[in-house]
Amino acid sequence: MNLLEINHMKKGFDGLEVLKDISLSVKKGEVVSVIGPSGSGKSTLLRCATMLEKMDGGELKYLGEAAAWEENGKCVYAGKQKKKELRKHFGLVFQNFNLFPHYTVMKNITDAPVSVDKVPKKEAEERAVKLLKQLGLEDKKDAYPYQLSGGQQQRVSIARALALQPKILFFDEPTSALDPELTGEVLKVIKELAKEHMTMIIVTHEMQFARELSDRIIFMEQGVIRQQGTPDEIFASSDERVREFIGKFTS
Amino acid sequence: MSLATMFLQLVKGMGITVEIFFLTLLFSLPAGLVLSFGRMSKQGWLRVISKFYISVMRGTPLMLQLIVVYFAPYYVFGIRISSGYRFVAVIIAFVLNYAAYFAEIYRSGIESMAVGQYEAAKVLGYSRSQTFFKIILPQVIKRVLPPVTNETITLVKDTSLAFVLAEAEMFTIAKQIAAKETSIMPLMAAGLFYYIFNLAVAGFMEYLEKKLNYYR
Repeated sequence: MNLLEINHMKKGFDGLEVLKDISLSVKKGEVVSVIGPSGSGKSTLLRCATMLEKMDGGELKYLGEAAAWEENGKCVYAGKQKKKELRKHFGLVFQNFNLFPHYTVMKNITDAPVSVDKVPKKEAEERAVKLLKQLGLEDKKDAYPYQLSGGQQQRVSIARALALQPKILFFDEPTSALDPELTGEVLKVIKELAKEHMTMIIVTHEMQFARELSDRIIFMEQGVIRQQGTPDEIFASSDERVREFIGKFTS
Repeated sequence: MSLATMFLQLVKGMGITVEIFFLTLLFSLPAGLVLSFGRMSKQGWLRVISKFYISVMRGTPLMLQLIVVYFAPYYVFGIRISSGYRFVAVIIAFVLNYAAYFAEIYRSGIESMAVGQYEAAKVLGYSRSQTFFKIILPQVIKRVLPPVTNETITLVKDTSLAFVLAEAEMFTIAKQIAAKETSIMPLMAAGLFYYIFNLAVAGFMEYLEKKLNYYR
């Protein structure tokens, strides 16, 4: 079964069509990278998929259950309760982390499980300690976000998303706010998650990383999926535009 | 009149001053928050009403507002004003006025929050009220503390306006003594009291700011 299914997704802002007709499905354990030039709609796709943005048309399904669908040419969303349920299936890692600055690392990770999922505090903390260890941050649990480097903050935000045990993890340019050195430590963590068969959809400009890690790469341009395929297919694309784009980033 | 009796009388007035101060804060701080919600509401009519209310409260003298609140029961409803209402009227007028200023301070704080905080909370599954009370409000409080301090210090001095309703707060008493003794001393002494009161207020607010300095 597809964990995520998007059919004919459309989204515009003030008459400007950002997503024209996007269809995409992701299976369990798949790692999908989304690449493409700025303004191609990659981030909007992610924001619509995570329901941060309302799409104008099309269908959005998680584990076969519809979060949004079309009725009489209009996009209709599921009820509040249903949306809340479906949100539990995914997590999102932001470009600029969006950690809660007034919470310690520990509280950042445990607060949502405790106050949203009603996980006992002790269990949530055990989970957090395990995650921090896995991400190489075990000595940072009492630190506040401002005391951490960008790379550490991004790893905490990955831990925060994982603590809710999502089935799919979205990444919105997770390393774009980081310098090359810090980028490496975040990419390493994502690679490890891939090894554990975490289902992930990653919007990125890190071509080499996308190539190594992805089962599938999607190339977006002007609001449509121009090409998708295995990394080998994309990197040896017969489409000159795709090759040119990748060449700019890998040279 | 001896200096000691004068001081004693001023201290008694100070009690009322302190009461006005704390009661005003107690009610106007939360009322301001509710008002700021109205000011930022998605409902257009609620926004307009809140905005109009704030503009009137900020645009007319507090002294006039005190008088209006005091006489409103009689002129609007024909109710005879009892002498006990005087203090209540002072508190109502101060709360109505200060809520308007606090509402704008809260609004500036709430609107300065990065949208990413809301989005992160939403994706993590927080409800709207959880998002506000757990994530947004604590950060807003830290941000608005300096302007709130400013307003609070102004309030200490504004309590002296209660004299228009002949409420026996410190300044009213100081004026009475000054008139009786034909001396400016009682007023100077009152000034000193206000200053000391404000030193304490400023000191406490600074302490709060330091307390909230554990994060950035």
